[in-house]
Amino acid sequence: MITEYLKKLYETIRSVAGITVVLAIVVAILSSIFRGPYIIVNTVVTGGMLALMSIGLALVFGVMNVAQFAHGEYFMIGSLTAYYTFIPIERYLGANPNAALSFLAPLVSILAAFCMGALMGVLSEKLIFYNLRKRSRTNWVMNSFLLTVGISVLLVNGHQLIFGTELKGIVRYWTGRPFCIMDVFVSRDRCYAFILSVLVIGLFWLFMKATRTGRAIRAVSQDETGAQMVGIDLSGIQVLTMALSCGLAGIAGASLLFMFPSYPSVGLDPLYMSWFVIILAGMGNVLGAVVGAFMVALLKVLTMEYIGSGWDFVVPTALIMLILIFKPNGIFGSDVRGVLEQ
Amino acid sequence: MLLEVKNLDAGYGFLHILRNVSLSVEKGEYVCLVGPNGAGKSTTLKTIAGLISPIGGEVCFDGETISGLAGYKVARRGIAYISEEMNLFSNMTVHENLLMGAYTVRDKQLEKNRLAFVYALFPQLEGRKNQLAGTMSGGERKMLGIGRALMCNPKMLLVDEPSFGLAPLLTEDVFDSLDTLIKEGGTILVVEQNVTKTLDVTDRGYVLEHGRIELEGPSAELARDPHVRKAFLGV
Amino acid sequence: MQTTKAKSELNLFDRVLDLLSLKPLGAIGLVILVILPLVPPFNQEYLIRWLCAAALIAAASVSFDFTAGFINIVNFGYYAIVGLGGYTSAILVDRFGISPWIGIFVGALSAGLLGFFLGIVTLRLRGIFAAVMAWFMGLALMGLATKAVWLTRGSLGLRVERLFDSPSNLPYYYVILAMMLVTYVITKGVTRSDMGLAFKAIGQNMDAARTSGINPVYYRIVNFTLSCTLAGLLGGFYAHYYGILTPEMMHTSKTVEVLAVAYIGGRGSLWGGAVVAFPFIYAMEMVRSSLSNLPGLNLILYGLLLILVMIYYSGGFAAFFQQHFSKPKNIILYYLVNGKKTA
Repeated sequence: MITEYLKKLYETIRSVAGITVVLAIVVAILSSIFRGPYIIVNTVVTGGMLALMSIGLALVFGVMNVAQFAHGEYFMIGSLTAYYTFIPIERYLGANPNAALSFLAPLVSILAAFCMGALMGVLSEKLIFYNLRKRSRTNWVMNSFLLTVGISVLLVNGHQLIFGTELKGIVRYWTGRPFCIMDVFVSRDRCYAFILSVLVIGLFWLFMKATRTGRAIRAVSQDETGAQMVGIDLSGIQVLTMALSCGLAGIAGASLLFMFPSYPSVGLDPLYMSWFVIILAGMGNVLGAVVGAFMVALLKVLTMEYIGSGWDFVVPTALIMLILIFKPNGIFGSDVRGVLEQ
Repeated sequence: MLLEVKNLDAGYGFLHILRNVSLSVEKGEYVCLVGPNGAGKSTTLKTIAGLISPIGGEVCFDGETISGLAGYKVARRGIAYISEEMNLFSNMTVHENLLMGAYTVRDKQLEKNRLAFVYALFPQLEGRKNQLAGTMSGGERKMLGIGRALMCNPKMLLVDEPSFGLAPLLTEDVFDSLDTLIKEGGTILVVEQNVTKTLDVTDRGYVLEHGRIELEGPSAELARDPHVRKAFLGV
Repeated sequence: MQTTKAKSELNLFDRVLDLLSLKPLGAIGLVILVILPLVPPFNQEYLIRWLCAAALIAAASVSFDFTAGFINIVNFGYYAIVGLGGYTSAILVDRFGISPWIGIFVGALSAGLLGFFLGIVTLRLRGIFAAVMAWFMGLALMGLATKAVWLTRGSLGLRVERLFDSPSNLPYYYVILAMMLVTYVITKGVTRSDMGLAFKAIGQNMDAARTSGINPVYYRIVNFTLSCTLAGLLGGFYAHYYGILTPEMMHTSKTVEVLAVAYIGGRGSLWGGAVVAFPFIYAMEMVRSSLSNLPGLNLILYGLLLILVMIYYSGGFAAFFQQHFSKPKNIILYYLVNGKKTA
């Protein structure tokens, strides 16, 4: 029994994906030994939020075949919503302090961001993708991609028009001394952001695996006709998928508000990064996206550490191009479609 | 009449395939639709199942018009369609596929009963419960496809080419299971290319050629019909 | 045989137009564009500046559409390639003191080389993957331009010698107008030949094209190389017109601007984008300068228009024109639109 299990594990490790993941872990450990453990800490915190972004991107591609260019804009909407929810609460707290509320206020803001992101997702599906789908399905992937380009332009400049270009940021969500992990001081915000991302990914995982609706989403991603045959309402699932995906991006934007203050094009960097992830993992592969997010985060952190900040953009890009040339389906990719399966 | 198709016209885009097709199936009947390749048999089933919207005509099920309804709504009315290629969820396990079949069943007890029923009908499936559907052989996939369709306790089954891509022995198995369903009071409309076998087991049949119904009648009579014998049986 | 006969029947004027792939109406439009900056109120410097910008976008949309509308690959790194041409030319002029007029062509050549490379690396990729690949290539180029400070002065901006000594915009306008015409004539000429058919075949269904004996490798590379060479040429103009280059010019949002114009103009038409660009850029600038208290409104209109066109009128302006104005009853109008006396 155990030998069989080990054999399976050995085979997994020997695959391209396995080799890459093991290599990444080894590199992470080695660099932490030579440079200090903050490398692993930084990777893990960045990776968690990147994973939230990438899951949404992979989900939308897997279920709806939409290559989302506007995904960063839902991140922006999330951070904007969180800002306008958090600031009034903070002001109120300044007048009458309350320990429980000051712990809950950030969570409330993040929840609001999730709802707002989901709402915008539903609107984009109902007003835009639905109409294109109804009119024509030829060349769908490219046409819907161009639609998302339009959405992105619309949302970025809508933000600029209504809220202006100034940075709308906060210093911190949670006050208090930073935590000390492995001799590294990590601010409370970063810690909670990581815990939150793990929790949300876990919940998402449960939802997709164990609930009837989650299974239906996976079913649609694997076979649309089959899904209709068993009585699944495709358009309902599409709305839900869009809401989930954009809501997750909203959460990411909201919980990173202390790092990325909200401004019109704040979503661009997260967008690029999450695209790196899903190219690396294979588009439409949610499971791979989680692993890939941490690998891209590591790559980013290492580039900044060894080559210098600013190059953290060029090096991953070059690597992604190599992956596209040699393994266009991503390192976890296969010909099998599906959002939660490799 | 459980299912009544009146003067149905249908096709894909500019391609007009079905012309004025009328047929009916009564409760508990085992009816077949036979014809040469490209006659429009699969198109008929797909149109009834709501995967293609008809150009003209009407489909009535259980006294209500269902033509023009979306596929999932037709499925929820109790018509289970089993396509030629099965459309299984290949990255889900056998068990998960069956659960997906019961998507419209909200009653947990009923779901459990149906699962027991399907596993009793296809014991092979129970042994492969946790295998991914995409890794199964053609015969097993067929059984899983039929099993998944039975999960929602359908009032009627539409089966497209049950023998497609199967070895003769496995074909027998599949037809046997359909027989069992009929004996238990099910209603089936089956489309087949294997005309001899189909006319042998079904009660009544329709012959579809060039998108039109050319002949209809009890299967035994059709099997004796000179035109059918010449065209399909090679006699 | 028949076409040569038909061609020999044309008079000299029509034959020249045919050679330039222009219809009489297009020729009239071109003439209007040539005299426009000479007549009031368009003879003010800031309006000529707008015209220059519009002509640049028009030319860019033509060579962008050459890839997007024909082999169906959206070159999402288009403006990075424009930037590469510009930077190459600027650096050569700056470091080695060669004339900008030569620099522009060397810049175009370097962009063409990159296009060749891009064509090769995207060979195995289809549709969206190729677009993403081009996008990342563009991002990497922009990153390089930002970080290679010793060469490009990074985001401080690289000062570039201008083409002409005079501060007037007029000579620049005629240069970019000529470039636009050259871009159009070359791309249209290529797509009118058998190659255009091959491009369309590859764009619609690569496997079917391959089985009917078309080698997608060759055609894709030719298409990318040509489109990128033209992009580099425009980049050279950009550098020596504005006189300063920053990595920001390679930003994806610039590509989006060209993309929007090309698609609103009509994909696969080449001329649609060029025609739409002038009124479009003009209107945008009007909105921007007259409603300066509402920043971003012009770009919102952009996005909205792109979405509406993509959903409801995917053929864009060119398809609209084709549908409603291509068969006028009046014989003179018919000639103007179609270049032939009768159907």
